[in-house]
Amino acid sequence: MENRPAEFRPNTAAIAAGRTMPASGSGPLLRLDNISKEFPGVKALSNVHFDLRRGEVHAVCGENGAGKSTLMKIISGVYQPSSGTILYKGEERHFSSTRESEAAGIAIIHQELNLVPHLSVAENIYLAREPRRGFLGGGFLVDRRKLRADAKRCLDRLGVDINPDRPVRGLSVAQCQMVEIAKALSLDAEVLIMDEPTSSLTEQETRLLFKVIRDLKASGVGIVYISHRLDEMAEIVDRVTVLRDGRYISTDDFAATSIDAIVSRMVGRSLEEKFPDRTSTPSDEIIFSAEGLTRAGVFKDISFTLRRGEILGFAGLMGAGRTEVARAVFGADPLDTGTVTLHGKTLVITSPRDAIAAGIAYLSEDRKAQGLAIKMPVDANMTLANMAAVSNRFGLIDFAKQTKAAKDYVSLLNIRTPSIKQPVRLLSGGNQQKIIIGKWLFRKSKVLFFDEPTRGIDVGAKLAIYRLMDELAAGGVGVVLISSELPEILGMTDRVAVFHQGRITGVLETRKTTQEEIMRYASGYARPAE
Amino acid sequence: MAEITEVSKQKSMSFSDRQKDIIQKFAALGSLFVLIAVFSLTSSAFFTVNNGMTIALQVTSIALLGIGATCVIITGGIDLSVGSVLALSGVVAALAVKDFGTPVWLGMLVGILTGTVCGFINGLLVTKMRLPPFIATLGMMMIARGVALQITGARAVSGLGESFGELGNGSFLRIVNIGDDGFPTIVFPGIPYPVILMVAIALAVSFMLNRSVLGRHIYAVGSNPDAARLSGVNVTRIVSFTYVLSGTLAGLTGCVLMSRLVTAQPNEGVMYELDAIASAVIGGTSLMGGVGTISGTAIGAFVIGILRNGLNMNGVSAFTQQIIIGLVILVTVWIDQLRNRR
Repeated sequence: MENRPAEFRPNTAAIAAGRTMPASGSGPLLRLDNISKEFPGVKALSNVHFDLRRGEVHAVCGENGAGKSTLMKIISGVYQPSSGTILYKGEERHFSSTRESEAAGIAIIHQELNLVPHLSVAENIYLAREPRRGFLGGGFLVDRRKLRADAKRCLDRLGVDINPDRPVRGLSVAQCQMVEIAKALSLDAEVLIMDEPTSSLTEQETRLLFKVIRDLKASGVGIVYISHRLDEMAEIVDRVTVLRDGRYISTDDFAATSIDAIVSRMVGRSLEEKFPDRTSTPSDEIIFSAEGLTRAGVFKDISFTLRRGEILGFAGLMGAGRTEVARAVFGADPLDTGTVTLHGKTLVITSPRDAIAAGIAYLSEDRKAQGLAIKMPVDANMTLANMAAVSNRFGLIDFAKQTKAAKDYVSLLNIRTPSIKQPVRLLSGGNQQKIIIGKWLFRKSKVLFFDEPTRGIDVGAKLAIYRLMDELAAGGVGVVLISSELPEILGMTDRVAVFHQGRITGVLETRKTTQEEIMRYASGYARPAE
Repeated sequence: MAEITEVSKQKSMSFSDRQKDIIQKFAALGSLFVLIAVFSLTSSAFFTVNNGMTIALQVTSIALLGIGATCVIITGGIDLSVGSVLALSGVVAALAVKDFGTPVWLGMLVGILTGTVCGFINGLLVTKMRLPPFIATLGMMMIARGVALQITGARAVSGLGESFGELGNGSFLRIVNIGDDGFPTIVFPGIPYPVILMVAIALAVSFMLNRSVLGRHIYAVGSNPDAARLSGVNVTRIVSFTYVLSGTLAGLTGCVLMSRLVTAQPNEGVMYELDAIASAVIGGTSLMGGVGTISGTAIGAFVIGILRNGLNMNGVSAFTQQIIIGLVILVTVWIDQLRNRR
């Protein structure tokens, strides 16, 4: 898939040829003026401007809650603006549903992909728009041959090699994304909205996605691009609009501005540092060690140590086995062989309960699916891993203790919530992450595995979480940071264990290494000297 | 600044959330009062102590099963077997007394334990064998009914003696005056034992759900089983417990019902599981798991019970009753959906 760059150039022409170019082609493709959106009691957007030209990638940046997704929902017809105008191809339009905006040529690809796992790629691309064929005079039957051929043509246009008959279930996230893009192309989309498209892609997959985006640009598609990964934007983004607190801040040519300037506009203050200064220094005392951890077909012979006051990074590509090792140490997945030692004691761990009892915590990368009981309030989530501390010997909850614990950690971690009875699903990603951290702090955990702790979290909250990790390390807690963002690894860790295909290919001193060196180990070019 | 707007947004949302919660609670409770008011006006015999006790007695079986159903549904499961399990339990209790000559209390204990065992098997099927709860309890529903019919030869077990009827027919604080003419006059009909049982169990299970670690874990498992497991909750044990509780309460319900008739019917309790689930759902329990209260289920059970009783008194046919109760279920769940949609 990634070895076919030669096929991209002709495909550009193919996409362009399949599209009717506008007669005038001068004005913007899409233009939003003075858009406001009010929900009962909240003004989500006020007087926002946005315009999109043909063949450009226009990034929309802002912290969580800045109004990006509200704006996208207005463009795609999910919401109707309270006031303001939408001009699409020079005409004023009111989309009252996504079906209408799709028919007009506006497609949106959500962060959580919307594919039906059990249907084939082709069936997904043409879902609810299946080509029909007659049966007793009516169009009751799906024209399978046409369906397949049409889907194949869409995929070929993108230059991706996915069998249209395969069920979506077995595809990687990147492949699913390509299917979504193919679906958008099949709609003859002229505006394509992409929400955090790279958040779960590997480097290579991101490269491929960018290639496809460049081709779409060349064919005249306007792309609205939402991402927290500002560093990637330089490669594809033409202009950038910044929103803050539902208000329009600025629109600039990307080349004429800097990432620092964008970030400071997003947060409304200049952010001097992305990472806090580390206050802890590792001592020689080893508090945690893993020896020869193996799980057949997943990871092999993994050994690492963690010293007092140290933050150890787990770097590597997605699927290299970092999460799997952490989950196995935590007892969430089985382990074939290997020993785990904490404070000189060898542990026998067969379930998360064993690990928690020993003092090991794992903060999942998927907060909503694995980290929180999202319907339950803040206090119940905060104490869930340590009910023994807030209950008596008859198993009855001491509500005074629970309230105190929840309030203590809400203020310690500076969690923004109207009350400790607030269901956690109503909180922002950063605050949810802090609640999970609070849960494990309340459990008095001795070793914490942070799995992608800042994914999808805004800049300000990221810094707070980095500070917490540093304070934990300084307080003698062992911290393992699993991250796909190399700047984060370089900025926060003391040493970094680099994973490649289920093995640790190198353990590097963070101060003495570079992004390039880590990538060499992560991609398997550099191997440990044995 | 971003944080301030965010917080104010949350504040307004939580406020309306709380309002909606209150509206929902009052909607169920309010409709209960409306029902009572309407039936009191249309039928003079409705609003009397005697009829109140009759309704309470009729509601006990729905409520007892509904309490078990609520716990199971909160964990995200479903128990379709309770109607059959109550028949099997009642039949076992009756056969123990009649054929093996055990004392009534021991026979009934054996009956209740039969329900416990059925619930335990349901729990094993769901947790260890990972069958979908719908399928596991559907199988148990058929098996328990089959066994009940098999061991009785599909015949009712009667001739159980007066003491077998004590649990279902006796009452507490019954005051009877023997008049001068020798005829008894009932001053106060007393509180039937089944009603006392229902209230006690409802309070106990409600206390368990709200105040105990076990209850907290039940909600956590229903809200997010993965997160609960990764937080150290023994998900297998929690889920199994709810099925055991549901089975045990079904066993108890079976004994109460058979005791009231002083006859054990292997065909008793058909479709009762649906009444139980309906009472939980009317009371705001979410089939998605994680949400539900015993007070809500009790209200739900009374809504169904009062509807049946009041419609009967007004001469509404059984078929029309079914239509009305079906509509009530649809409307209450629709209101619940409105509340959760955002």
